[in-house]
Amino acid sequence: MFKYVLRHVVSSVGLLFLSSILIFLLMRVIPGDPTITKLGGTIKEVDVETLASIRRQLGLDKSIPEQYVSWIAGIAHGDFGSSYFSQFPVTTLIEQRVGATLELAIMAMLIGILIAVPASVAGAIWPNRFLDWALSGFAAVGIAIPTFVIGIVLIIVLGVELNLLPTQGHVSFLKDPVTSVRTALLPSITLGIGVAATIMRILRASLMEIASASFVRTAKGKGLLRRQVVVRHELPNASIPAITAAGIIVAHLVGGAVIVEYVFARPGLGSLLVDSVFQRDYGVLQALVLLAAAAFIVTSLLVDVLLGFVDPRLRTETSS
Amino acid sequence: MTVAATDRLTETVLAVRGLEVEIAVGHGASIRPVRGVSFEVRSGQRTGIVGESGSGKSLTAFSLMRLLPPRARIAAGDVYLRGREVSRLPESEMAGLRGGKISLIYQDPMSSLNPLQSVGYQVMEAISAHDRVGRREARDRAIELLRDVGLPQPERRVDDYPHEFSGGMRQRVVIAMAICANPDVLIADEPTTSLDVTTQARIMDMLAQIVAERQMGVILITHDLGLAASFCDDIHVMYAGRFVESGGAASVLQHPTHPYSEALLESICHLDRDVTTPIAAIGGQPPSPHELPSGCPFHPRCARAQDVCTSEAPGPVDVAGHMTECHFPIGGEGP
Amino acid sequence: MSNAPEVVSLEGPGLERRESAGWRLLRRPQAALAGLVVGLIVAATIGAPLFAPYAPTATDYDRLFGAPSWAHPFGTDELGRDILTRVLYGGQTSLTVAAAATAIAMLLGVVWGFVAAFREGWIGEILMRVADTVMALPVILLGLVLVAAFGASILNLIIILGLLFAPATARLARSTLLVELRSEYYVAAVSVGASSWRIVARELLPNALPVLLARASLVVAEAIFVEASLSFVGLGVQPPETSWGTLLNQGYSNLYSSYSYPIFPGIVILVAVLALNILGDNLQKVLDPARS
Repeated sequence: MFKYVLRHVVSSVGLLFLSSILIFLLMRVIPGDPTITKLGGTIKEVDVETLASIRRQLGLDKSIPEQYVSWIAGIAHGDFGSSYFSQFPVTTLIEQRVGATLELAIMAMLIGILIAVPASVAGAIWPNRFLDWALSGFAAVGIAIPTFVIGIVLIIVLGVELNLLPTQGHVSFLKDPVTSVRTALLPSITLGIGVAATIMRILRASLMEIASASFVRTAKGKGLLRRQVVVRHELPNASIPAITAAGIIVAHLVGGAVIVEYVFARPGLGSLLVDSVFQRDYGVLQALVLLAAAAFIVTSLLVDVLLGFVDPRLRTETSS
Repeated sequence: MTVAATDRLTETVLAVRGLEVEIAVGHGASIRPVRGVSFEVRSGQRTGIVGESGSGKSLTAFSLMRLLPPRARIAAGDVYLRGREVSRLPESEMAGLRGGKISLIYQDPMSSLNPLQSVGYQVMEAISAHDRVGRREARDRAIELLRDVGLPQPERRVDDYPHEFSGGMRQRVVIAMAICANPDVLIADEPTTSLDVTTQARIMDMLAQIVAERQMGVILITHDLGLAASFCDDIHVMYAGRFVESGGAASVLQHPTHPYSEALLESICHLDRDVTTPIAAIGGQPPSPHELPSGCPFHPRCARAQDVCTSEAPGPVDVAGHMTECHFPIGGEGP
Repeated sequence: MSNAPEVVSLEGPGLERRESAGWRLLRRPQAALAGLVVGLIVAATIGAPLFAPYAPTATDYDRLFGAPSWAHPFGTDELGRDILTRVLYGGQTSLTVAAAATAIAMLLGVVWGFVAAFREGWIGEILMRVADTVMALPVILLGLVLVAAFGASILNLIIILGLLFAPATARLARSTLLVELRSEYYVAAVSVGASSWRIVARELLPNALPVLLARASLVVAEAIFVEASLSFVGLGVQPPETSWGTLLNQGYSNLYSSYSYPIFPGIVILVAVLALNILGDNLQKVLDPARS
């Protein structure tokens, strides 16, 4: 198991480096002189010296590989560079906002799993045409319905009309857990529905496939009850494709966070991204994209490790 | 219906009367792949059901265990397990009997075990499904069972996973799970089809020994006549959903009375035959349950068929000690 | 000797073509309904000048933020403009962007995938790795970055979305083509001496077309969604151009004044995306019952 984990960690680190190079180069390819951008792009004439000094300030006078190295070195020290617009270093901006996004993502994930897994399992234990139809319907609609529609509807119904939950803002979990959860509830449900629908679609399909597997027949033949067969034998095997799909789910979460944070006025990394796009703030943009890539790579790693726990066939390095 | 190989006064553990299985095929139509099967098994008796694929043998086995696929059901007949009728029992009670009083071993050892759990866990699960025991004791019993079925070094391998075992070993594990609660009846559905011949022989020997020790009634389902010959006390030949001939194994296989049984035997390669003799395959195909021929289902492929065979289904007659369903059985007088 | 032999058609006795996929599709009630809905939406938006009850810029200061009524089925906005009309005209933009982006994605993806399939060596590998990398990141994220780089405008949106949706199509095109390349009729055609480009055009492409069309339906759905999302946060279609996304944006800003303002465009987007998804899913199932 250890060797397995090590192998995957090493390749993940490698992938991370590769991504950082790609992102860095991508940023440099974007048209427009960042120096001009920093000046706001409105100034038509600027004397050469000011330009040069700003260049030096931004470290743009060094060669590309040197810039890359200093960027990476900075990150290793926790310094993500400076924003082109605000006076805060990028790291500070990220620190301020990462909490909101993390809480959102974690809660959405939890809600998604809590809805999807019991529903899928119930569908497998008690096959029933109406239940089946309802569950596939939910999965289909949940995947297709745009996040902003869910968000707006929830705001109207639960937030404004029934006035049950706050519709915007953010309170840190560490400061006030209860209010934090309440504030995060509407946005998390909004995202969570999409997550639930995705998980359900995959899980239900693989449960149906597994149901006709030989070892399920063996389990029944041992005298186990239906629910024992589903929970102990079908579910673990069926969850493998679902776990593998975690990458898709994280992608959905990242993309969705942008919209949801906008709809619910939540000061997280998603809204930071939108702001930095508006301002053409490449310093922030660069860091955020790298973070996103890191999030995927880490998720991939966690998925592989989790699968290693669940499926013993993966752990066998060499065939016996 | 059976002729016991010996005259042991042993108990009847399984009695099947007129079993019929129906499968819904959509648009309100249905087919009957099993059309009236009756037989008995005594404890310690080794019965064989032989036939080609599609004859209905596996479905018969599944219906005894009430493990039929979703669109299938037992349409008629009774199944008595030690005198108790079980074909109409509620599912929860049937679950208690499965593995406990009647067990099934399957065809495909490669995929019969849950790949995510250790073999020990799966055997323990079978044990605790029928007996309240603590983990420690369940584990010890599992190890002993694995030893009984011939798994080498069970203490070391009990925590290994199925993919770390060969096909033969996995089949032994499956057998261990099936016998752990000392069932009265053990059904073995093509247990060695996917194994090589040497392993096959060893497994069957092990099975024979276990069955003798525990006095279980065994039903061996197979298309392999040689296997049936060596293992079974008596045999039922199945064709198109019914038993066309039943009798002592040696007797049926040496002196078949039904044309189908005879044809089956003829189609086996004999080592002592002239190599230039073509293999006598039975012409035609086994009938599909969607389109059963009228009268005797074997008549389109039978050399002895006459007019009556196309219109009237033959009833069972006793010829030379075998039960046969034929109008013109071999060695009989015929109507 | 004569010219290279023509590619032999494989239709004939024993190889009757099954009922075409289109008809099989229409038998499924879901798909038929979805197709109808899509058709209606497309017809209504194309014919907006005909069907829209009002001119898109007609204002009515007596009825600001009006609730849905007979005169204004979707209500009115902050300037008293009829929302149904705005939705119809906005649909022109949204559907144009989505359709054009899909066309680019399909074209680019097919070429990409076909090249990767034919040149299976390291070229194919690299092409697919690039595709995988792009596919791994969420479209909205990449879309935002590209909008940051190149600016938001309708043309840019079309190109950006086309580029972002191409890799998935490339994967599909490549795997479809690989299957065909291994099929007997292809090998037979090659051995008879037919040139590969001819085979591609005459036989392989038509065989791959239905699968690609099924995919296209799903891509259009996603394109509508992404355009709406980007426009919703202000980084897609820019005012004064209107799309469903910009309508949503304006509706959202005025949420407390009128619920129907954001809700109706939202519902229209939902219905369009859902219908296209159902259509695409059913088409996939009809073409390959083994899958999904």
